[in-house]
Amino acid sequence: MSIPDYMQCAEDHQTVLVVVQPVGIVPEEEFFRIYKRIASINQVSIRDSQRLLYIRYRHHYPPENNEWGDFQTHRKVVGLIAVTTCNSAKEWPQTSERFHGQKEVFGPTLYDSRLLVFGLQGEIAEQARTDVAFYSSYDKCEDVEKRVEDFVESIFIVLESKRLDRATDKSGDKIPLLCVPFEKKDFVGLDTDSRHYKKRCQGRMRKHVGDLCLQAGMLQDALVHYHMAVELLRSVNDFLWLGAALEGLCSASVIYHYPGGTAGKSGGRKPSVSQAADAGKRHRPGAQEVLIDPGALTTNGISADTSSEIGRAKNCLSPEDIIEKYKEAISYYGKYKNAGVIELEACVKAVRVLAIQKRAMEASEFLQNAVYINLGQLSEEEKIQRYSILSELYDLIGFHRKSAFFKRVAAMQCVAPTIAEPGWRACYKLLLETLPGYSLSLDPKDFCKGTHRGWAAVQMRLLHELVYASRRMGNPGLSVRHLSFLLQTMLDFLSDQEKKEVTQSLENYTSKCPGGMEVIALPDGLKLPPVPFTKLPIVKSVKLLNLPVSLRPRKLKGLLGQNMATKSPFIYSPIIIHNRGEERCKKIDFQWVQGDVCEVQLMVYNPMPFELRVENMGLLTSGVEFESLPAALSLPAESGLYPVTLVGVPRTAGNITVNGYHTSVFGVMSDCMLDGLPGVKTSGCVVEVVPALPRLQLSTSLPRSANSRQPSSGEEPSSSVSVQLFNGESQQLLVTLENIASEPLETLEVTSKMVNTKEKVFGEFLTWDLDGALSQLPLKPGQTVVLTVNIKVKLDFSGQENLFQDLNDDGISVTGLPISSPLRQVLKPRAENKPMGTESGKPEYNQVKMLEAVLHFKYSGGQGQVEGYYRELSLGVHVDVEPSVFFTRVSTLPATSTRQCHLLLDVFNATEHELTVSARNNQDVVLHASECQRRGGEREAM
Amino acid sequence: MAVCIAVVAKENYPLYIRSVPSENELKFHYTVHTSLDVVEEKVSAVGKVLVDQRELYLGLLYPTEDYKVYGYVTNSKVKFVIVVESSNTSLRDNEIRSMFRKLHNSFTDVMCNPFYNPGDLIQSKAFDSVVSSMMVQAC
Repeated sequence: MSIPDYMQCAEDHQTVLVVVQPVGIVPEEEFFRIYKRIASINQVSIRDSQRLLYIRYRHHYPPENNEWGDFQTHRKVVGLIAVTTCNSAKEWPQTSERFHGQKEVFGPTLYDSRLLVFGLQGEIAEQARTDVAFYSSYDKCEDVEKRVEDFVESIFIVLESKRLDRATDKSGDKIPLLCVPFEKKDFVGLDTDSRHYKKRCQGRMRKHVGDLCLQAGMLQDALVHYHMAVELLRSVNDFLWLGAALEGLCSASVIYHYPGGTAGKSGGRKPSVSQAADAGKRHRPGAQEVLIDPGALTTNGISADTSSEIGRAKNCLSPEDIIEKYKEAISYYGKYKNAGVIELEACVKAVRVLAIQKRAMEASEFLQNAVYINLGQLSEEEKIQRYSILSELYDLIGFHRKSAFFKRVAAMQCVAPTIAEPGWRACYKLLLETLPGYSLSLDPKDFCKGTHRGWAAVQMRLLHELVYASRRMGNPGLSVRHLSFLLQTMLDFLSDQEKKEVTQSLENYTSKCPGGMEVIALPDGLKLPPVPFTKLPIVKSVKLLNLPVSLRPRKLKGLLGQNMATKSPFIYSPIIIHNRGEERCKKIDFQWVQGDVCEVQLMVYNPMPFELRVENMGLLTSGVEFESLPAALSLPAESGLYPVTLVGVPRTAGNITVNGYHTSVFGVMSDCMLDGLPGVKTSGCVVEVVPALPRLQLSTSLPRSANSRQPSSGEEPSSSVSVQLFNGESQQLLVTLENIASEPLETLEVTSKMVNTKEKVFGEFLTWDLDGALSQLPLKPGQTVVLTVNIKVKLDFSGQENLFQDLNDDGISVTGLPISSPLRQVLKPRAENKPMGTESGKPEYNQVKMLEAVLHFKYSGGQGQVEGYYRELSLGVHVDVEPSVFFTRVSTLPATSTRQCHLLLDVFNATEHELTVSARNNQDVVLHASECQRRGGEREAM
Repeated sequence: MAVCIAVVAKENYPLYIRSVPSENELKFHYTVHTSLDVVEEKVSAVGKVLVDQRELYLGLLYPTEDYKVYGYVTNSKVKFVIVVESSNTSLRDNEIRSMFRKLHNSFTDVMCNPFYNPGDLIQSKAFDSVVSSMMVQAC
């Protein structure tokens, strides 16, 4: 006996074993259909005696186990049901032959047998035979159950007769010695007449009768017999059989105490009402039987325990005693190497009982013992079975971690190198079953809350094994999913080297099967949720960016008030403050425009010790049709915070919510939702998208200058032109406006605003004629409009205080006063003539004046205009104005009258053009370029 | 002396685990992890009987072929597990007890550290050295 039946439980002791086997060629499917129907008859109530007979069916039973049938009768095959297909009468003799051959295998122990023949019709099928049933096909066999019941009843009759036969052996007869296979040779040549030997025979027979009683449904009798057997066998130190007697006692007691059975779901017992009602009654019919048949107990010196009715409670073991006796029995079995299977099975049975009693600690001791029982050389399959059952039993007593441990060992055994065809599928399945034991779920959502807490080293090992098993199973999709999970959840526990290895193998797998976001459903119903790589890279903040100033939509003033009023009746309410917690849902106070490129800035960092390539990174949005323009980036190893701008174009108007982003890292696509990301700072993810507006691109005839020098002014123009002009000069600026959006431009307004108003300006600085441009409206996309802006500078350069001061200083001098512009190279040499104290380069001599103005283009069109939005484009105009004339020398000459003098001015034309200088007395002087002339005038002396 | 010492949090995840470097570390992870089944069972069994003044020392959790696993549960349900070699017969129950007491004292010191966040992995050097003193010196 080498193959243990791990499914055994204590109540199996009261069953009779029936083997159901196919004979000849029987389709497997059909056989198991029939087998199931047969197996459903697992308890039969015997009409005359009100007893129940329990039947255990097996479709496979090793004959060497049958040899232990005398030791424990429930191991004995007492019935055989053969199932066969027979299509013609010609085949019948052969089939019949086979059936008899089959009977031979279990021959010595069989009480009865049946043959179920399918497919045969005609003469042979007509004959009425008790041991053969004919059915025309597998579908037409309504009375199989009935047949089986009859069969079971016939077995019962034999069983009952055997029981009575054994129990009533005449005292004069020699009681045969029952023995187990390995004992046979030990008893050769032993004195069969000794008292010791006789006692042994008696004890063993007693035990055997106990078994039969138990099977025949006479629990009380069985208990009595077992008790006596224990006493007899103990006195002769027949340990193996003493163990069996003790175990029988335990089994009977367990059946008494736990009518529901100890096998759990796998048990064949029907927890029917009749069963429960029977439990109390069952011993009674048995006891009656004792009274009816006094011969059973009074003869042969095996004196009847007449007090069996009274002593019921005494005979039956208490729950605590059951365990004690099991322990004792197992220790006796342990003395025999060949009884390893019996010992192991006893352990398993005891554990099941303890599990019901909820005594996990003691159960674990039994299991611990079972682990060490050596059954000799086990085949790999048996090892797997053994580990699986250990795992199952540990699970039964609530030791989930231990259970997981053994399940994992079983899984590893499935693919042991010694196995020719490793069962990766089985291994994978077993590994999956260990997950709860290691408190590991395959849903990454369970891990995103705070830091990971668990047995990382053990869990990582398991995940690695899952990856490997799924790869060997030929399912790279699964490997990718598990590996992604490993990388995502265990990142903190991986060493740099491991990180490299894991990502490398991930890349290898994804090259065959890219990872995605779909849920992988396994055949056994487990669903593997997608694993988004929220840590590769880690996103620290998400910020929606406003449009550039020139593209921002502005609301027309009239409509603004309306908008405010709808929000709240209060101007101020402190309650709003409390809503700050839900910042993520808060609407941002700027708008995006349909059809315009909008930006979201993420701050990311790479936790890996190597460069991380993120491809196809884009935004996930809802609410508005959004065209995301994915980006690819490469983050250096262990980078600090790194800004990434993701862009996209909203295609419709409405409220857009940025829900997350998608990436593709190592060939795994992930959709990362912001809700699921801890520690992400955002300033709100909802923004309004206003309907499309036209967009103008501006170009000018004058060169652009760098942006305005004073950015502090807030509304800096988007671009500016600068030009140098002499005072009084005018220049034309052509502003070309091109509509580059898809909406027509319908309105255009132009305003200007002086920025630097210190200077006194004569006349209009900037003038334009809008009518020409307006006549071209609406401006279709792609069209341009040209606006001519006249720049005219007329500044007052006179009255500069410094000049007067200089004049005053030199007032008495008859020599002229040099007034030079230090900036002008031409005049520089003259600076030598200047009186001391007036150094060149002094800022007050800078006579270049600056004029700045901003041109605002307000425009709108399309759907956006209907909604009351417009855009503003601004152009800065920067003009450096230089004086066109200089008075380089002032001198006085005495005039004819002493009250008068001649004031002589040297006027220098600084321009390249001819210019006319007018004075009050209408004496115009024409000055050519860079010409200096002296002008005189009579002035009243002061 | 011990070959592996582990501190397990109330929620049954490891706060600290250290084993002799000469051995396979993962093996001890498995050993300690599976021993938690027994710890839980013992704690729940004890809990039924005496809640107020129960023994913190749980005794031998289970023997394996090569090792003996001992357990100890603080009042805040933090578990200590010490694994010793089965061959080491010089260690009596009393010695194991005193090891646990020492460990508990050191653990209390760790918890008293205002910069230690309960639930975080223990990285204290003082605790480390106490553990080292109880470990088998790797040769």
